[in-house]
Amino acid sequence: MWCRLLERVEGVYMPYEGLDFYDVDSLLTEEELMVRDMVRDWVEDEVLPNIEKACSDGVFPDEWRVALGEMGVLGAPLEGYGCPGLSYVAYGVICQELERGDSGLRSFASVQGSLAMYPIWDFGSEEQKNKYLPKMASGEWIGCFGLTEPDYGSNPGDMITKAEDMGDHFLLNGAKMWITNGTLADIAVVWAKLDGVIRGFIVEKGDEGFSAPEMKGKYSLRASVTSELVFQDCKIPKDRIFPDIKGLRGPFSCLNNARYGISWGAIGAAQACFHSAKEYALSRIQFDQPIAAYQLVQNKLSWMLREITKAQLLSYHLGKKKDDGTWFPEQISLAKMNNVDIALDIARMARDIHGANGILDEYCIMRHMANLESVKTYEGTHDIHNLIIGRHITGIQAFTRTA
Amino acid sequence: MPNIVVLVKRVPDTNAKITVSGGSLDLSAVKFVISPFDEYAIEAALRHKEANGGTVTALTLGSDACDKVLKDAKALGVDNLVRLWNQGWENLDSNGVQSALASAIGDLGSDVVYCGKSAADSNAGSTGPGVAERLGWTSVSNASAVSFEEAGVEAMIPTSSGQARVGLNFPCVVSMDKGEMEPRRPNVRGIMMAKRAVVEVISAEAPTPTVNVVRYSPPAEKPPGKTYEGAGNVPTVVQALRNEAGVI
Repeated sequence: MWCRLLERVEGVYMPYEGLDFYDVDSLLTEEELMVRDMVRDWVEDEVLPNIEKACSDGVFPDEWRVALGEMGVLGAPLEGYGCPGLSYVAYGVICQELERGDSGLRSFASVQGSLAMYPIWDFGSEEQKNKYLPKMASGEWIGCFGLTEPDYGSNPGDMITKAEDMGDHFLLNGAKMWITNGTLADIAVVWAKLDGVIRGFIVEKGDEGFSAPEMKGKYSLRASVTSELVFQDCKIPKDRIFPDIKGLRGPFSCLNNARYGISWGAIGAAQACFHSAKEYALSRIQFDQPIAAYQLVQNKLSWMLREITKAQLLSYHLGKKKDDGTWFPEQISLAKMNNVDIALDIARMARDIHGANGILDEYCIMRHMANLESVKTYEGTHDIHNLIIGRHITGIQAFTRTA
Repeated sequence: MPNIVVLVKRVPDTNAKITVSGGSLDLSAVKFVISPFDEYAIEAALRHKEANGGTVTALTLGSDACDKVLKDAKALGVDNLVRLWNQGWENLDSNGVQSALASAIGDLGSDVVYCGKSAADSNAGSTGPGVAERLGWTSVSNASAVSFEEAGVEAMIPTSSGQARVGLNFPCVVSMDKGEMEPRRPNVRGIMMAKRAVVEVISAEAPTPTVNVVRYSPPAEKPPGKTYEGAGNVPTVVQALRNEAGVI
């Protein structure tokens, strides 16, 4: 921020200002605004100048892990054990600003906070919380979350990975796939069946029989590490099981938090595309006019503004309900599904406004578009969220066709 | 241990578009921030405390709208927040501002005062030396780096032939330029502290303004540029640069 402010004094810098048509900023607390500005400035100064290289190299820069820890935003809404203790709305605006940088960056923070720290915070023993949470909040330890398997994505209940009680230890066998942060992670929260019941386990890097090879060849989320987790007679101590939580409620409660964050994150990606499209439309001259002067382009920009504004209000209201404890999971499904859907459409429309320039890495458009293809599918696909809402409306579960 | 004061000023975001209506400034839609060079002053003050202990007090002069920049300074790590204000100070001139600040700094028992070399709104650069003059304290301006001694500071300042390292004994005033000390970012812990922080409001005497603003007017519009395309226009461009712009 600081150097940038001076560049502004010298008149060479045009800062990003988020679209805020309905003055959602006025609904945020002073603390939420300060957190938002802190993350926005960091993204502007440190992420945006380096994101294209990170994507082309296919790496998650380690200095981003350090900075997220130093800012103190990891596990944002969790309290105690060295965690920040912010509101869910603050967690939302953090996700929004991170994803304005890149969905891979927001994914890192979502997985660390909502999928790895949250289950330890909610379901872990006191010893587990004290051991892991402070180091994860500071960014010293990275976590990942193993639920999806090669053959079980939308249907995690039929997972194959299993745990056996060997008396003085557990033995894990199976494989997880599409695991964000897997290869980087110091610890993995792994869901496996023990005597046919889904239970949560903490696996540490270096545990015998555990490996996490990186998945290569992605065209999407390239600045995020995606891995397999392989357990071959993986031996873990008895104190690494979450004591009480059983069944899918465990992993699903993590997903609820992550999906809520994604609903905000998608707004950030959409804002980045809208901002770029607006600037481009105002500066690109065709037929002696900026293309922003043409009704077809204005119609597109107007549609983008409309959808971003609705998405902001949806996520803000959901955030207040998260903070009040009056939410239910189908509301999160709606926000995740809607906001990612419109963000992807906005990215595509922004590409259209940018013309041929839209495919270049000089602009953020193709990167966000490719990223959002993953975001649309992970954490409950678009279709599955429709079915969750369909079940809410009709009382009929469509995935298994049973009431 | 040193009693450190850092002066912070609330200024319009340096990117803000300032409009003038009816001969006065319209700042109603403008976002305000800490003046950029004051960020370097805060960094110097915090490093001073980290090196030698003591306390850092952020001091500003202004109405309660200025509490936000004090809270921003708190989020960076300063200890105390003090705002100096009196009714009727809306049109204080530089003389009045410097007198009031000097009086408050004396009351705070400061050993060293850091401030930005100039504020992003007026760009006058008079506050640091003006305050030092009124207090009778040693002062340097445009410091790009400072190091901390038991009873003073050493500052790197520009000279006509390069840079000089100068030593100042307490009490002293150092105005900071952009330099080697990269200002830190806030973090969540600091923001939580800022939320709970209390701003102490004090007042002082200030001389009646002797400089009054007659009216404000926006700078003249920049004339539109000229565009030439194609290699055939090179002679025309060269002629224009030589004869019209006078740059070659």
